[in-house]
Amino acid sequence: MKVNSKDIAASAILILLAVVGLWLNLDHNLGSARRMGPGYMPMLVFWTLLGLAGLVLLAAFFSGPDPLQKWTTQESVNLALAIAVGTAVWWVAPNFGTFFSSTYNGVGLGMLAGFLVLCWSLGWRLIGCICAAMCVFALLLEQGGLMLALIGTILVASLAEPEHRDRPLGVMGITIFLLALCWWVFIKQLDIRVSVWPQF
Amino acid sequence: MDLLGNLAHGFYVALSFQNLLFALIGALIGTAIGVLPGIGPVATISLLLPITFGQPATTAIIMLAGIYYGAQYGGSTTAILLNLPGEISSVVTTLEGYKMARNGRAGAALATSALASFFAGTVATVVVAGSGPLLTSVALSFGPADYFSLMLLGLIISAVLAQGSVLKSISMVVLGVALGLVGTDVQTGQQRFTFGVPELSDGIGFVALAMGMFGIAEIILNLERPEARSVLKTKVGSLFLTREEFRRATPSVLRGTAVGTCLGILPGGGASLSSFGSYMMERKVSKNRHLFGTGAIEGVAGPEAANNAAAQTSFIPLLTLGIPSNAVMALMVGALIIQGIQPGPRMVEAQPDLFWGLICSMWIGNVMLLIINLPMIGMWVKLLQVPYKFLYPAILVFCCIGSYSINNNVFDVYMTVLFAVFGVVCSKLKMEPAPLLIGFVLGPMMEEHLRRAMLLSRGDPMVFVERPISATMLAIASVALIAMLLPSLRKGKEAAMAG
Amino acid sequence: MLSRRALLAGGAAVAALPVDARAQDLSAAASSGVAAWPTQPIRLVVPFAPGGTTDLVARMLAQGLQDRLGQPFIIENRPGAGATVGSQQVAQAAPDCHTLLMSNIASHGIAPTLYRTLRYDAVKDFTHVALVVSNPSVFVANPRFAGPTLADVARLSREAPRGIDIASSGSGSSNHLLIVQFGQAANARVNHVPYRGAGPAMTDVIAGVVPLMSDSLPSAAGHIRQGSVRAVAMASAERHPAFPEVPTFREQGIDLVSDSWFGLSGPAGMPPAVVQRLSQSTLAVLAEPGLRIRFTELGGTPGALSPSGYTEFVRAEVARWAPVVRASGAEVG
Repeated sequence: MKVNSKDIAASAILILLAVVGLWLNLDHNLGSARRMGPGYMPMLVFWTLLGLAGLVLLAAFFSGPDPLQKWTTQESVNLALAIAVGTAVWWVAPNFGTFFSSTYNGVGLGMLAGFLVLCWSLGWRLIGCICAAMCVFALLLEQGGLMLALIGTILVASLAEPEHRDRPLGVMGITIFLLALCWWVFIKQLDIRVSVWPQF
Repeated sequence: MDLLGNLAHGFYVALSFQNLLFALIGALIGTAIGVLPGIGPVATISLLLPITFGQPATTAIIMLAGIYYGAQYGGSTTAILLNLPGEISSVVTTLEGYKMARNGRAGAALATSALASFFAGTVATVVVAGSGPLLTSVALSFGPADYFSLMLLGLIISAVLAQGSVLKSISMVVLGVALGLVGTDVQTGQQRFTFGVPELSDGIGFVALAMGMFGIAEIILNLERPEARSVLKTKVGSLFLTREEFRRATPSVLRGTAVGTCLGILPGGGASLSSFGSYMMERKVSKNRHLFGTGAIEGVAGPEAANNAAAQTSFIPLLTLGIPSNAVMALMVGALIIQGIQPGPRMVEAQPDLFWGLICSMWIGNVMLLIINLPMIGMWVKLLQVPYKFLYPAILVFCCIGSYSINNNVFDVYMTVLFAVFGVVCSKLKMEPAPLLIGFVLGPMMEEHLRRAMLLSRGDPMVFVERPISATMLAIASVALIAMLLPSLRKGKEAAMAG
Repeated sequence: MLSRRALLAGGAAVAALPVDARAQDLSAAASSGVAAWPTQPIRLVVPFAPGGTTDLVARMLAQGLQDRLGQPFIIENRPGAGATVGSQQVAQAAPDCHTLLMSNIASHGIAPTLYRTLRYDAVKDFTHVALVVSNPSVFVANPRFAGPTLADVARLSREAPRGIDIASSGSGSSNHLLIVQFGQAANARVNHVPYRGAGPAMTDVIAGVVPLMSDSLPSAAGHIRQGSVRAVAMASAERHPAFPEVPTFREQGIDLVSDSWFGLSGPAGMPPAVVQRLSQSTLAVLAEPGLRIRFTELGGTPGALSPSGYTEFVRAEVARWAPVVRASGAEVG
């Protein structure tokens, strides 16, 4: 069988996005060909996307085989769990205090929780760690200051690399070096307006 | 000759100590912000604008221009070394440049980028000096219908940027156009696909999208493949170009310079089309087209030349019409008007010091960039010898700070995270991110020109085939589309790749 | 990079990117009191892209205020949705007087009627400080266009089978509304062609893609002087001192006056003492001869209104534009 599973998955994503786009576009006025409304171009674009995705799907039955990596049961459960935990934390986050009900901190906490849960199984660990590290940065930056945010980010990011886990001294070295470098580049030279130390 | 006399006068102005100093400062700042992800020339120039109040107009413009092309230069460095495009123009550089770096030819790729840019900059400077006003009439002959067809052609041929299936990469282009729809509709002011999020009303940020799908996704993928990292560490070849590489790159540089010089003149979108227009051309014309996708030097030399040539010739609409062709040029107009100078056709007579001084300082700026960048190649390549486990936290941290500082808003950091996840998914499914990014950039412009063209023709689509420029573009586009799709439908993707 | 640092020190820390107002402002306002204002760099939000008229005026004003008040003014460009994105952001900022806005005719005169879902009130949600500059709109034409007067334009538009195209810098701008008003007053068949800003629109007028454009005088002034476009009519009450040769709409028998304006405003609830000080400093900056000459060259008239005068002015403008917007049939969600 020459089925290309990767292309099938790709076309499934594209079809989903096109359908969602067309559905959202129902809100927008199409206008006429002469004076196009805000919905005219999206309509053209999403129908084109749908058509192309359909062609990709058709072609996928002849251009394989190109199998997807297999997911273990643990990985599937882990993904579902991460999405569930992330959504739940996002939902309840505003109750944790005013910090989490303002701007995007609640969303950020939900994303952080989801990505941390994702670190459980080996297959998802890398993506979970790296993304969680960025969320830590975003959550800590404005209240905790640049230094604290950087320390948190580097620590979480270093979990992604097995070699770092046995060598805390190495991680400490990287952290100190990067703190100094970022301070010199972004605070001393470029003077980007962020607080360097925690704000109380 | 008059031109020579004018140029001599220009060099006399540009070579004054103060102007040289500020050209150097501009080039240095530009290179630095180009290397740092997220902090682009528009932000930097608008921050530095007040400083220029106290300077003579010529000095101010020379410094700001230095920042502009310095940033184009610096952006290529991270694109080659880390697969991190900071600017639209360097997206294309990641395609072959990063592959070259992985083959141990990072030094050669950086040297190619520097030399190609220098050559193209020199040629483009001569073009600006000699035939600027003449070329303006070419730019003015482009109407909305022509721009639409040019963008459409750009989108269709951008599918060749991809290494895999043409169908999938065209889908990615269209998906990119769809992402570009997010934000405020320019013609009516209505919010589209923003889900009530005010941060989205200006659209999805280019830096968040590019950084997530290229830079961060690449970190995750690199960590997954320990064997890919050791390649970087062990194979560092000669720093400079070999004779063979030099021979291969030369014709590409020439073609890239031509493409960039022409497209840079078109206001609105011309310059961003130039680098990948050149890549597309190299992929079709170059003798070594079978090497594309594995780190072909032609794919670095052509686009880098095109990009820098376009950066110089995009001054033409500003200097001859007083009309800015992009956001950086709009700031230049601002800087001039604050100084009490109205840019435009009369500037050549009214402000000869400024006009000719600026043109000559463009060339001097290019010399300076070459002097700054060539010795630094060794240093940059050493960066790759740092073990990846120490390098990746640094890249990550720089991306975090970079994405935050665009709008001083953590929203952009979260957007980067989401696009990183999407980037990893795309990579697993062999969906190319480069065409998506091109679609994202060109899509909004295309919509604007389409709507305007239809408004002017009172809804008659025949306008696209009645105008000769537009009709030519559409004809090329349809031929390209058929040529690409036929083999892919008939023989599957391998044939399409080779074609 | 070292040199950049040195530059920045000289430029009074102009590189300062905007501070996130939400986190730090309230405490600063509470502890420092009014007398100490300004205690930190002041963020001046310009709701248009860099390089435009508002941006230029804001930068010139910021330079003057910076010298007088001793704190750097940081220009933050927040374009989008007819200047309402940036305006809304300031309306929601803390009234500690470290976040200010270039209020203008688009966001504070026209938008209240044009946008059904506007999330601020142009009068109540702001503390209006001073009118900075006002300038008329002007009709310009491609030099090859065969219609020297407005009457010719109206006649040509009726003769042409498809009416006549007139460009503007964007939907809902005062320049757009002037086109609509002209169409009604002169019984002309006009087809409005919106652009993303005045620059691209001017390009197409010079190229002849669109024969006519309704533009603000400052952005058109240079092109008129250079002869790349021809001024047809000025929408001011009297002939403009910088362009005495250009006849007004009224002189050509069409009773239309359209001035666009920019002013300085902040969020509602700013302390009166600070408003007074800011207003006096602004008026002093506007009285400087250098700035006056620069403004006049650009085609603008420096404002001279007290805070209460400017508030009344904004209120009057909202009332004035409401029927025009409704008559134009334009509306945005």
